[in-house]
Amino acid sequence: MSAPGPPDTDDVDRDPGHSAGPGDLPEAAGRRLGGESFSSGLTVPDFAACLHMGLRPVGLVQGFCVMQWGWYGAGSPYMRGMNPYSFGGSAPRGVYSESYRCPHGGYVYSNEHRIWGQNYQQPWVESAWAEGFGSSYTRMVEEATEVGAHGVIGVVDSTRHLADMNVTEFHMLGTAVVVEGAAAPPGTPWTTYLAGQRLAKLVESGYMPVSVVASLASVRVWAYCVTEILMEGTLSAWGGGYIPVSEVEQLSRAHLAARSLAREHVRSRLGADTLQGALIVANTQSLSQGDEVIECTLRGTRVRRFKDFDPLPAARPTVRLT
Amino acid sequence: MSAPGKAGAAAEAVDLKAEMRRAADSLGQPAHDQRTRAVTSDLSVDEALLLHSIGWEAVDVVFGASVVSIPPGVWTWGSGEITSASDAHNLAVRSAAKHLGEQCAGVHGHGVVGVQVGVEVQRHHVDVELTGTAVRPVTGKDRNTVFVSDLSARDFTLLHNAGWGPIGLAFGASFVYAPRRSMGTTMRQSSQNVELTNFTEAMYAAREAGMEHMQRSALDMGAQGIVAVRVSEGPMWFASHAIGFTAWGTAVRLDAQSHQYLRPEVVLPLDDAVVEFEAQALR
Amino acid sequence: MTQPQDLPKEAGHRLEELEHGLFTSDLSVNEFLLIKEAGFHPLGFVMGSSIYHTGIQARRWNKSQELTKLTEAMYNARELAMTRMEEEADALGADGVVGVRLDVNYYEWGRDAAEFIAVGTAVKAEDGTSHRNALGKPFTSDLSGQDFWTIMQTGYVPQGLVMGTCVFHIAHRGIGQALGTMGQNVELPNFTQALYEARELAMTRMQDEANTLGATGIVGVRLEEKSHQWGSHTIEFLSLGTAVTKSAGDVTLPKPITIISLDN
Repeated sequence: MSAPGPPDTDDVDRDPGHSAGPGDLPEAAGRRLGGESFSSGLTVPDFAACLHMGLRPVGLVQGFCVMQWGWYGAGSPYMRGMNPYSFGGSAPRGVYSESYRCPHGGYVYSNEHRIWGQNYQQPWVESAWAEGFGSSYTRMVEEATEVGAHGVIGVVDSTRHLADMNVTEFHMLGTAVVVEGAAAPPGTPWTTYLAGQRLAKLVESGYMPVSVVASLASVRVWAYCVTEILMEGTLSAWGGGYIPVSEVEQLSRAHLAARSLAREHVRSRLGADTLQGALIVANTQSLSQGDEVIECTLRGTRVRRFKDFDPLPAARPTVRLT
Repeated sequence: MSAPGKAGAAAEAVDLKAEMRRAADSLGQPAHDQRTRAVTSDLSVDEALLLHSIGWEAVDVVFGASVVSIPPGVWTWGSGEITSASDAHNLAVRSAAKHLGEQCAGVHGHGVVGVQVGVEVQRHHVDVELTGTAVRPVTGKDRNTVFVSDLSARDFTLLHNAGWGPIGLAFGASFVYAPRRSMGTTMRQSSQNVELTNFTEAMYAAREAGMEHMQRSALDMGAQGIVAVRVSEGPMWFASHAIGFTAWGTAVRLDAQSHQYLRPEVVLPLDDAVVEFEAQALR
Repeated sequence: MTQPQDLPKEAGHRLEELEHGLFTSDLSVNEFLLIKEAGFHPLGFVMGSSIYHTGIQARRWNKSQELTKLTEAMYNARELAMTRMEEEADALGADGVVGVRLDVNYYEWGRDAAEFIAVGTAVKAEDGTSHRNALGKPFTSDLSGQDFWTIMQTGYVPQGLVMGTCVFHIAHRGIGQALGTMGQNVELPNFTQALYEARELAMTRMQDEANTLGATGIVGVRLEEKSHQWGSHTIEFLSLGTAVTKSAGDVTLPKPITIISLDN
């Protein structure tokens, strides 16, 4: 199975480079998709709404990618026995990194006193995630292309860590639809997390979904002495005993950076469009004494305006009688 | 669903199928908007439409985060309020809200709605994370101050229609030591039904102080009220003899001359709560 | 009343009582009203059950493969429960069963034995037209009362709850293999293929069932994954949905009204 590049290389939805041949799909999928009847993952209200706006479901489409997964990741400098203390703090160009220096006048780095620390982005983790997400996306879109769909609605994606196997599975699922009465699909199908009335409302208000977009940002924190002392509540000879209430600058900045980076990754793939219904999930893995890996994922549907805004009839406030 | 619509609304009903075809065809053509900067938003379709109905739009997803240290030793036995813990709390919230406001102002937003508040108190530090969407009136000029609110875009719209506006996140926290009972007292009380008055007092004091801090922060912003107050309380997981109480809500002010009444209609819905289909119940 | 094929005596007695006009159902009031709105009347609560002993099949430690014996067991057991429920519905002269739920129970007393249960509410059209499916049996569906009303508005009618299953063993990785790719986040194509294959098999089988019913399509497809009691490397992929056929021309739903609820 060939692994196409991550979707952030370009406009994934329009990029003809992603519409690889159906040779990539397992045999079973071909038989199912070639069948007489359609299957759809839509709920009944979503199915009804879908017919209502002239979308005909043609099949349930899906894509997978199973990746070997360790949080170190390929290309990580500490896989080669390095850490920022030994590689001199030079991060790859163009990525977020910040260094912190000991204010106590220490000269020698030791585990008892870390004279400096660093926050930096981990592009190798981010690109591995993008590859897994991107491959499952591309495969789902391939299935949709094969059934001649215009688009894929109600996309659900999930990432699952398979127990005791050290592998992570990316799975994407959606319902391929044909726009009735429209010309043959001009290119790769469009995709959206939305379905049903929400999709109808979006279209009615002048937005057309382009593609689902997601990104992961990963920031590693190597604590320096100040962060460590504050986080561990250690009474330090260097810190002068009593420690007042104070902001842990290094960590505040790292948390903000991870989230902002995830947003900027997604933004870089939006062109002039809008990301609708963003879902943001941040996780912090604490390693030791202020050392952390902060990961943030952000996903949503990229939508494009196709007509001027025309407000819907104002909503009527109601009270339910039950 | 079958209730008759207003005469006007029915006549204007768009041909959704034609709209869908037009929308699908539009993807092959150049973008309609001449906007250069992408918009990101965590609002739902409904929320975006409601905002549009009052002439507002989303600008960007914005974040605020802060980690503040708590000095060592504050959780050990003592009496009264643990002020350095509530100070750390206030500093973390203020600092995170400040970052959030800065990101909002940076993209010319007027305020942040739907802020998700994540607060975690650990033995040595307080972590606060704020996530929301910066919004502004479509035709608005930049403002000097921005508001931060944990109200949803829907609530914001409703408040706006009623003539009110959010000002900021009102926040209060208080931590107290649960009083020690002497061995003698514990023995005496072990077989009786009695009120543990000193515990009652401690909890009472924590609540009062937390609410007082929240109200103080709202008054400082010039608020007329606080809506949607949420509280969390209970012993700290790492120090069961210390009790924490936090309260937060959105400080609001009447912007219009007077309150505008919404006059809701009454509906009788036929929906049940969503029933989860469960193919297998595993034990 | 047609005599059910293989139902216990007690069921026959309960069903006879239902023939005298009393109905039982686990439908909520809302669902009951909507089913009436769709032109149907509930007849009674029907169920089917089957206690099945699932056999053991040898797995190769390092080979991903389908465990056909387990697949068959899981499929047959559910099919038996469903068929018995259909027979109960048939005995009531029903056109179909709505709100079908499938459950699996494990009991202390039976290792490797599981009870498969199907329950639902039998319904009959009030105007006397038959809504039975292509096989002349009552249709089954997992649709709620609300969903049933909605689907009838769209001009589609349910044909049957269709399912496909596939029990798959995912290979363990040899130490050599694991070392070879250590420290890299790379795709493992064999795993991708195995999981892909397993899910597609389950879905294809479901689709085959729909084709047998002459259905136009399947709505509300769900993919469920359970390891039951087999350990983490053996997974059942179960695919379920309601097969539907288009019965009439375009019936458009009334245009929904935009409201903003002031309820919490």
